[in-house]
Amino acid sequence: MQQVLVNGVVLAVNYALIALGITLIFSIMNILNFAHGQMFMIGGFVVYYLYGLFGVNYFVSLIGVVFVLGVIGWCFETFFFRRMRKIATREENSMLLAVGTALLLENLALSSFGEKQRGVPPVVSGVFKIGDAFLPAGRLLVMVLALVLIAGLLLFVQYTKLGRALRALAQDREVTYLMGVNVDRVAALGFALGAALAGLAGGLLMTVFGVNSGVGTVYSIKAFIMIMIGGAGVVPGAILGAVVLGFAEAIGYALLPGSITYLLIFIGLIVFLLFRPQGLMGKPWG
Amino acid sequence: MPILEIQGITKRYGGLTAVNNVSFSVEKGEIVAVIGPNGAGKSTLFKLISSFVAPTSGKVLYDGQTITGLPPHEVARRGVVRTFQETAIFKEMTALQNVIVAHQLLCRASSLGIYFGSPKARADEASFGDRATEILDYLGLGAVKRLQARNLPHGHLRALGIAIAMAAEPKLLLLDEPFAGMNLEETDTAVQMVRGIRDRGVTVVLVEHDMSAVMRISDKIVVLNFGLKIAEGAPAEIQRSDAVIEAYLGRADDELGH
Amino acid sequence: MVQVTDNGGRPTANEAGALALRQIIGFTAFVLLLFVGVPLTLGRSPYFITVLTNAAVLSFISLGVWVTFSIGRMNLAQGAFALVGGYVTAILATRYGISFWICMPLSGLVSAGLGALIGWPVLRLKGVYFAMTTLSLTEAIRLLALNGGDVTKGATGIVNVPPPGAISILGLTVMPQFSSANPMPYYFLASAMLALGLIAVWRLSTSRLGWVFRSLRQNEDLATSIGINIAKYRVMAFSVCCFMAGIGGAFFVAFQQNIYPSTYTVADSVNFLLYCFLGGLDYLFGPVVGAFLLVISFELLHAVQDYQALIYGALMIFCMLWLPNGILSLGLRPLAERQSSKT
Repeated sequence: MQQVLVNGVVLAVNYALIALGITLIFSIMNILNFAHGQMFMIGGFVVYYLYGLFGVNYFVSLIGVVFVLGVIGWCFETFFFRRMRKIATREENSMLLAVGTALLLENLALSSFGEKQRGVPPVVSGVFKIGDAFLPAGRLLVMVLALVLIAGLLLFVQYTKLGRALRALAQDREVTYLMGVNVDRVAALGFALGAALAGLAGGLLMTVFGVNSGVGTVYSIKAFIMIMIGGAGVVPGAILGAVVLGFAEAIGYALLPGSITYLLIFIGLIVFLLFRPQGLMGKPWG
Repeated sequence: MPILEIQGITKRYGGLTAVNNVSFSVEKGEIVAVIGPNGAGKSTLFKLISSFVAPTSGKVLYDGQTITGLPPHEVARRGVVRTFQETAIFKEMTALQNVIVAHQLLCRASSLGIYFGSPKARADEASFGDRATEILDYLGLGAVKRLQARNLPHGHLRALGIAIAMAAEPKLLLLDEPFAGMNLEETDTAVQMVRGIRDRGVTVVLVEHDMSAVMRISDKIVVLNFGLKIAEGAPAEIQRSDAVIEAYLGRADDELGH
Repeated sequence: MVQVTDNGGRPTANEAGALALRQIIGFTAFVLLLFVGVPLTLGRSPYFITVLTNAAVLSFISLGVWVTFSIGRMNLAQGAFALVGGYVTAILATRYGISFWICMPLSGLVSAGLGALIGWPVLRLKGVYFAMTTLSLTEAIRLLALNGGDVTKGATGIVNVPPPGAISILGLTVMPQFSSANPMPYYFLASAMLALGLIAVWRLSTSRLGWVFRSLRQNEDLATSIGINIAKYRVMAFSVCCFMAGIGGAFFVAFQQNIYPSTYTVADSVNFLLYCFLGGLDYLFGPVVGAFLLVISFELLHAVQDYQALIYGALMIFCMLWLPNGILSLGLRPLAERQSSKT
C-alpha cells in the first residue's frame, strides 16, 4: 500500500511536467501538441547520448535537453503553425498539422536513434525506506527535480514579464497584440517552453524507465488522458490530471497483470467523459 | 388556453441569477416583446423557453403541455422555433439550400426512404423546394437565393435566419433581436414582415432593443431588469410605467428609440 | 473524376444534367479501370495486384472516415473498428467454421453496433476532444484484443484464417474458391467493395441525409433549433463509418489470413484520416485519391520504406500548409463557387 503511494507520487510529479507542457501550448495557441510524446522521447535520447554515452554531467545534459527541444518547439511554431494560422481555412488543419509534426519527429527519431531500448547508469545510487516502501535514490532525485521544475515554471509564469505575456496570450490573443506584445515571438517562446518541459520529463524519467523511439505515442496518449481528466488548457487541471493518472497507474500496476491497467483506465476515462466532458476543472463548453 | 405559459422560471449560474422567477403568458396570435436593458436576462429567457438551457426551477408550458426538460429538437418539433442573436446560418450552403434543409421536420419519409429515394421522399423534396422559394421570396431574398449564405450582406442574413425558422413551420416563433443593425427603412420592412408572419397564424415572441419598433408591433410587452419581471402590459402602459423608465434611465440614453 | 462537393449541389436543370453526366462518366471510367484496365495490364504481376488490393480496401475504410468528417468530427478511431471487424471474422471463421461471406457483413454490423454504443456519448465531444478520445479508443481496443484471453488469443493473434470459400448456385460457381496463392479474386472483391462503397456513400451524401449531416457540421445549434435530432444523425453517420471499417477489417483478415492486436494501431487511424485529407475532404473521391497515391508511391519507393513515417509526416505538413483543400482541389473548383459567380 505504501509502496503504491510512493510510486504514485513519483509518477504524478513527473507526469505533471508533461501535462503542464501540453497545457501551456494548448492554452496559448489552441493547438493540441500531438508531438508532445515524441518530444518527451527525444528528451530521453538527448540524456542518453550526452549523459549515457558522452559522460556529460547529468544536470548539464538536462540543459542540453532544454536547448534541443526548445529549438524544435520554436521551429514548429515559427515555420509551421504560424503559417497555418495565416491561411486558416478550417480549424481541423491545425490539428492535422500537429499530427504531421508528430509523425515527422517519430521517424526522425527512429532513423537517428534506432529501435533499441536504451538505458543509462543511475545518477545516484542507494535506496531509501519510507515506512514499508522502498524509494530508490534515483527516483527520489527525479521526483525532486520535477518538483523544482514545476515550482520554477509556476513562479516564472506568475512573476516574470514573459510569463505574464504568456498568460495574457492564453486569455486573449487580440488584446495582447493590441497591448504591444510581440505575439509571434511570445508564441514561439511558449511553444519552445512547452516542448522543453516535455523533453525534461523525458530526460528525467528515462533514468528510471529507459527510452526507445517507439515510446512517443504512448506518452502523447498519457498527456491526452491527463488533460481530458483534468480539463484542457488550465494549470490546475493539468496537475489534477497528472495526480489521477499517476496514482491510477501505480495502483493498477500493483494490483493487475500487464496491460489490463490501461484498458481499465481507458474505460474509466470514457465513462468519466460521459458525465463530465470538459474534465474536472475545464470550462464548460457547448 | 394561452399558447405559452412561463411559470416562475429561474436560472442561476453559480452566484448569478440570470432569470429570477419570471412568469407571464402569451395568447395565440399575439406578438409579445420582451425588453429590458442589457444583461436583463432576455436571451437567457429565450434559451430557457426553447429548452437550449435547463432552468434551475420553474416550468414552461406550450399548448398546455410542459416542455421544460425536453431536448431542444423535440421542443422545435412541437412547434417552438427560435432564431439566434448572432446570425445563424449554414455558411457553406446557398440560401435556398439553407431553407430546404430546414424543412427537415416536415419530412414524411423515413431515413431509409430518404436514402433510397422513395416516392414519398421525392414528393417531399419537390414540395420543399417550392416552399423554400416561396418563403425566400416573401422575405425579400428571392434574388439571392442561389448565393452562398456566407456571401450574403448582413441585412439578408437576419432575414435568412427567419426564413430558416419559418421553414420548420413553427406555431410559436421566438425572434432574437430581429431588427438589430437595421436602419429606419429596413426596420419598417421587417416590422411588416413580422406582422405578416403573425397573420399567417404564427404567434411571435421577440426580444428587441429598438423601442419604436417594439411599440409599433407588439400586442403586449414584458419588461425585464436584472432577471426580474418589472412590468407587463400594452405598449401604452409600458411607456408610462415609472418602473420601466427608471430601469432605462439608469442606463445609457440610446436605448430608448432610434 | 466524380465529384460530390460539400458545398455544392442543386444547380439549374441543365447544369444538373451536365453534372450528373460528368459524374456518371467519371465513375464508369474508374470502374472500367478497376475491373478491366488493371487486370489486363497488371494481371500478370501478383505483387502489383496485391498493392492495388490494399489501396482499394484502405480507401474503402477511409471513405468511412470521410463520412464522419461530413458531420464535423475528426475520427481517429477507425483502426479500432477495423480491428473489431477483423476479429469478429477471424473468430467466427476459425472457431466456428462460418463462411466468410456471412462473417463479413456480421463484422460490419458488430462494428457498427459498437460504434453506435460508444458513439452515442462520445459524439457529444467536438474538435480536439473528440480526436483525443477516438485516438485513445484505438489504443483501448488494441489493449482489449491483447487481453482478450482465450477469445482473441492475446498477442499470439489468430492465424490460419481460411480464405473465402466458393459459392455455387444451382451448380454454377458464382464465387470461386479464394486461395492465398492467387490475389486476383481478392482484387476483384476489393474493387467491388470500393465501387459499391462509393455508390453507397455518394447516395448518402447527395440525399437529404447528407444535407442533414452537413448542417450538423456547419451549425449544430441551428440544426437543433429547427428540429433536427442531432444525436440521432451523428450516431447514424458514425455507425456507417464503423460499418465500413468492420467490413474492411474482415477483408484484410481473409486476405492476410491472420490478425493481431497490433494489426491496426494509432498510426493506421491517423493514416485513414490522412488519405481523406490528402485527396481533399470536399470530394467524395478524396479518400480514394489519397489512399491510392500514398499506398502505390510507397510501394514503388521501396528504398525509402524505412522513412515512410518521415515522408508521411512531411507530406501532411506540406499539405496543411500549401494544399489545405487537398489534391483534388487543384483540378476541380467546388461546384458552388462556379454557381455563385454566375448569379
